[in-house]
Amino acid sequence: MTIWDLKKRTKAEITNLTSTLPTNLSMRLAEMGFIEGQIVHCMKRTPFSGPLVIQLQDCVYSIEKDLAQQVHVSPIQ
Amino acid sequence: MQKIVLVGKPNSGKSLLFNQLTGLRQKVANFPGVTVELKSGRFDEYELIDFPGTYSLQSISEDELIAINQLKKALESPDTCLIICNLDATKLERSLVFALQVQSLAQTHNKGCVFALNMMDEVARFGFEYDTAGLSKALGSPVFAISAKTLIGMSEFSQALKSYAGTPSLARVNSPNRDHDSAVKVAARLAKQFGMQQDLVLRKQNRVDHVLLNSVFGALAFAAIMFFLFQSIFTWASPLMDGVEFLIGALAQGVTSTIPAGVYEDFVNDALFGGVGAFLVFVPQIMVLTLIIGLLEDSGYLARAALICHKPLSLFGLSGRSFIPYLSGHACAIPAIMAARTIESPRKRLITMMTVPLMSCSARLPVYALLIAVFVPDVAYLGGWVNLQGAIFFILYFGGILTALIVSKMLDVYVGDSDKNDLPFILELPNYRLPHWRPLLYKTLNSGVYFIKRAAPIIFVVSVVVWVLGYFPANGDLQGSYLAMIGQLIEPIFAPLGVDWRYGVAILVSFLAREVFVGVLGTLYNIENADENLIGLASQIQADGFTLASGVALLAFYVIALQCVATVATLKGETGKNRYSWGVFVLYGLLAYAVSSILYAVLS
Ligand SMILES: Nc1nc2c(ncn2[C@@H]2O[C@H](COP(=O)(O)OP(=O)(O)O)[C@@H](O)[C@H]2O)c(=O)[nH]1
Repeated sequence: MTIWDLKKRTKAEITNLTSTLPTNLSMRLAEMGFIEGQIVHCMKRTPFSGPLVIQLQDCVYSIEKDLAQQVHVSPIQ
Repeated sequence: MQKIVLVGKPNSGKSLLFNQLTGLRQKVANFPGVTVELKSGRFDEYELIDFPGTYSLQSISEDELIAINQLKKALESPDTCLIICNLDATKLERSLVFALQVQSLAQTHNKGCVFALNMMDEVARFGFEYDTAGLSKALGSPVFAISAKTLIGMSEFSQALKSYAGTPSLARVNSPNRDHDSAVKVAARLAKQFGMQQDLVLRKQNRVDHVLLNSVFGALAFAAIMFFLFQSIFTWASPLMDGVEFLIGALAQGVTSTIPAGVYEDFVNDALFGGVGAFLVFVPQIMVLTLIIGLLEDSGYLARAALICHKPLSLFGLSGRSFIPYLSGHACAIPAIMAARTIESPRKRLITMMTVPLMSCSARLPVYALLIAVFVPDVAYLGGWVNLQGAIFFILYFGGILTALIVSKMLDVYVGDSDKNDLPFILELPNYRLPHWRPLLYKTLNSGVYFIKRAAPIIFVVSVVVWVLGYFPANGDLQGSYLAMIGQLIEPIFAPLGVDWRYGVAILVSFLAREVFVGVLGTLYNIENADENLIGLASQIQADGFTLASGVALLAFYVIALQCVATVATLKGETGKNRYSWGVFVLYGLLAYAVSSILYAVLS
């Protein structure tokens, strides 16, 4: 599953990024905190598949479907 | 002059720090076609250069590549003596990633490097205390705890900067060189050891977002804020615009009274003060707009607005950040095109800039008002709630927006798949913060200066040309001028719109700026002061047998056509390419012509 599948107010742990992502983009995501083992917290979903709002460590990001589907996670309780 | 370089991640308080260190005398260097801006100012005997905020030395867009290459060049340059890495102390880990990358580059080039741990006032409010000495040791560079807002630690910091800039070897980096991967890891380790607990920092922000991003309250708040923005550019700016107009008028009178009557006086009065002056009137509006957008940006709301608008606008190939340029375009296309700079994706930015001129800007208002007064009866329906003239106004505004969305969609499809591999939408929602007046004030002043510098030359040339054509050979009588001859010559071109040569002349002159349409028609119909006496002119035109079909055709023409050389000049400056600016000019000209002749043919 990816962070796009997260429901509001749930958490998950990042497992990996889609491997076919361009290197500069996956590096940038890593620099923004999308690293294996980090906890993602889904803060908000917007209607009509609009961007998702997540909290990742010290930042809150708004992230679009296309990109959110590249970040794979495993659910935690 | 030796240079000091300032870097940091976005929203880390870097602009405020820059402003506090330098003051009013700033220069902004722009790179054509991209949004990269390098600000520089004097700090003591050094030149302080503010680089655009970014998350890393790895670029993911053309803009970032240019910014990063400039930064790398500056770090190599022998003129650079010191590098300041600005850190947001409330977000230590994210700010450290980029700062560590820059630090190791500084080390490679043997430059001094210091860290400014900014936002200390906020940290103190959370009751947290930083181990600055420990962090400094772990980083291998001096660290200063400061607040650019409350000025805590600022005097020590600027003292230290002076001495480090004088003897950079004192600030030479004293730590092992790190590669990319470890910058992320080191940042995580240091943040864990020295940083503050994150949940605490984000709690307040999340609570506010809970309301402002809520589907109901959030939407209401959004509508209210945008209404406020829209109002401000019309109501607040108008006394200022009147003031500028008055000043220019007074100046014109003062100057022309010293010149003997005749062609020189007419030139100074009409071409210089009339042509160039008419465009200066827009400066206050641009500045008010910049101020409000700056306020929204610095407070952190702009990122939320982008989030709210992203989905609907992305259907048309636009970004959530295209909303502000579109809204601003209803005042004036020039600041709106400049506001498109905040759009992250170059492709969406280009589409936004190319379609902004379709918004019904305030210069179209007098034209709409005149034509509506001519052929729309002043009647009301539904017990006075719906006025027909008002409804037509609304349709015109809406028509502009609709055309813009259709053109955007077409551009999006037309630009093709090759470019689709574009920046994905990921946006940090920054902390809500109370903006500081200093950066806002400078930004506002700069926007006015920038507008004048960019548009004045072309406006000047066009005003002179139009004046000469309208003045000679009949010495001031428009009816007998070259312009009128040209109008009669090209009358067949405007025949499909059902209008005669007088409108042709008015349309031609409108390419200088649309609002002169009214004045020129007034002159051709022998009405003095047509701008004030709109009704008089309207009844003249009515008496002249102006048909409904021509009225609709002309209105459609003015909705679509890009008749503003200042906008073309701005597009040229912002996109860096004639292809886009003049391309849009021709495209909308043809589109306007096609739509209005079809409308005329159908209606008559
Ligand atoms: N409380 C506080 N706010 C600050 C401080 N420095 C900057 N800000 C505010 O934080 C917001 C973002 O700052 P700005 O300088 O635009 O950040 P930049 O994106 O890094 O240039 C603005 O509203 C500033 O007024 C600070 O030291 N303390």
